[in-house]
Amino acid sequence: MNLRFLRTHPFILWIALLLVGVTVGLAGAFTVFTQGLGATGLTDSVPWGMWITLDLSCIAVAAGGFSLSAITYLLGRESYQPLARIAVFVGVLGYSGALMALILDIGRPDRFWHGWVFWNTHSMLWEVTMCITLYFSVLMLEVFPMVADLPFLARFKRLNHLAHRVHHFAPALAVIGLSLSLLHQSSLGATYGVVIGRAALWRSTMPLLFIVSAVAAGMSFTVHVTLLVQWLGKRRLVPNQVLFEVGQIAGAILLLYLYMRFWDTTAGNYGYVPGRTEATNVLMSGPFAVSFWGWEMLLGGLIAAILMIRARARQSFVSLVVGSGLVYAGIIVNRWHTTLLAFTQPLSTNPPVTDPLVGSYTPAWTEWGTALGIVCGLTLLFSLGMRFLPAFQGIEEAEPEPAPEPAMTVAAEAGD
Amino acid sequence: MSDYTRPLTRREFAKLAFGLGVGLAAADWIWQSFRAHENPQAQAHGVNADGPYWAMVIDLEKCIGCRRCVYACEATNDTREGHLWNILIEDTQTYEKPVFITRPCMHCENAPCVDVCPVHATYHRPDGLVAMDYDRCIGCRYCMVACPYGVRVFNWGERDDENPQVPTWGTPEIERRPRGVVEKCTFCAHRLDAAAENGWRPGYDRAATPACAVICPTEARRFGDLHDPESPASKAMEGRQSVVLRAELGTNPRVFYLLPL
Repeated sequence: MNLRFLRTHPFILWIALLLVGVTVGLAGAFTVFTQGLGATGLTDSVPWGMWITLDLSCIAVAAGGFSLSAITYLLGRESYQPLARIAVFVGVLGYSGALMALILDIGRPDRFWHGWVFWNTHSMLWEVTMCITLYFSVLMLEVFPMVADLPFLARFKRLNHLAHRVHHFAPALAVIGLSLSLLHQSSLGATYGVVIGRAALWRSTMPLLFIVSAVAAGMSFTVHVTLLVQWLGKRRLVPNQVLFEVGQIAGAILLLYLYMRFWDTTAGNYGYVPGRTEATNVLMSGPFAVSFWGWEMLLGGLIAAILMIRARARQSFVSLVVGSGLVYAGIIVNRWHTTLLAFTQPLSTNPPVTDPLVGSYTPAWTEWGTALGIVCGLTLLFSLGMRFLPAFQGIEEAEPEPAPEPAMTVAAEAGD
Repeated sequence: MSDYTRPLTRREFAKLAFGLGVGLAAADWIWQSFRAHENPQAQAHGVNADGPYWAMVIDLEKCIGCRRCVYACEATNDTREGHLWNILIEDTQTYEKPVFITRPCMHCENAPCVDVCPVHATYHRPDGLVAMDYDRCIGCRYCMVACPYGVRVFNWGERDDENPQVPTWGTPEIERRPRGVVEKCTFCAHRLDAAAENGWRPGYDRAATPACAVICPTEARRFGDLHDPESPASKAMEGRQSVVLRAELGTNPRVFYLLPL
């Protein structure tokens, strides 16, 4: 077999690699759907695990869609539009990933529609179900004009006309998207926050922490992938200035999140709070201490925020790409800690309830495999979209290049 | 972007008003048709306060930890091994002698599981017990996350196992639950329903009382109507100190524990 073909066509190699991941995911999904959730590492004492983390992470990194759309169309920053378009495209993929993870996670995928028909308006998860599906529709409408722009669809005149009409409503869609996202990004946190029986979770700050961290993660993720596509695809998608500005905004929001987190932890654990104090100790000095201090607080917290904020002044793409990567990695680690802490800690200090119910959890191959499959599938769609959608074929160089600096040289080399 | 600052013409205003009206009417129609789908039993506030107040009273002084209630539950409700509705925990630290605590579903008045279920698959029956609709449950397991007592178990796979407690400790009285739904102790609601049909008295008649309470050799578990001062549950509580688990959460459980003497 002549493999030189792959060296000259790295994009094909990339797609092939992703397809391998998708295949693993399909095998995992097949196992889960035929054998039931017994094929996972989940148990009665740890009923939620990796898929919920994946779900929360997908939705967090998709938060760039609503926040950047709001900045572009509601605050009138027209120069952000190229980035907002990428964010919306990332968003629609992120939400489809979340929906896929949810379909795997529920025990009766055949009853996925029950949430729409049988309403329990008291349930945070009902609210999440409704908002996610509605917002997914909004994202589809927002992406529709980009897809309709594809050259081979040009022959369908009515389709293009419709796409034009839909695009006309972009500000309205931004308002609806903002409202729906403000609802469900926070009610995902509230899903955990209202669980009165688990002291590690029961905090009214959860919804606020979730949405603020999601906005930071979503903006950073959008900036991160945009930089990667620009370097690998050898084209400019978004003006540099916009990337640096958004990086700075995301860094500031991350600092706000860390500030809120500090007071939440300090005031929420004052003295001794049964259950919660133990959980906080596990996080800060127990088995999670290294990943908590290392990822959540230092790398994905302070260091990432400083890199993102300083990147603009130094015009450093390296700071921006490293910082934005760390931000969303830190938030994903946070979602994992939140989920795991809830279930590996005693329900309370009440003896009749705790002993047999403290679980441990190791994800099974089905969970790893399907998570890999979902991530690879989304990356595949993202790569194809970036490669072929006319909206992402680059912008004209409008701004003058800033004076060359070491960091810029690296960027230029990578881009060449 | 077209001109959004221009005031609306009369025609546009009429169109908008008409559209809003039609939209509201449609929303109301959709809402009403959803309401029609609601489980008639699943009215959170439809609990009949004048009816019996079913409760279980577990005497920690009398319990000898023989596990008969665990086995009887496993057989009667045909639960899967290792996914029990009623568990036994031995507490060797709180008192000088070992104390055995068995834990069914608490059937809370303010049940966190009922609040969080996205599809109302778990609900309060008119008699106040917390029940499951296995045909509606989507298996999201949020109720398992929310339950402060960890009483809920999940059907992780299709059931083809043999029940080791049958027939020694009883025979299955209800169907096995399908794969992918959550289940939990029902206070043997099927027996209570049969009692209502046949005029039996739960707590007094064996066929009308939860299997765990019937089998208990030391009468440590008593079941009955707390509104009836003569019921076995009321009698057992007389002159004794009782506690509920995690009272600080305000769930108002229907399972009371009598402290060891």
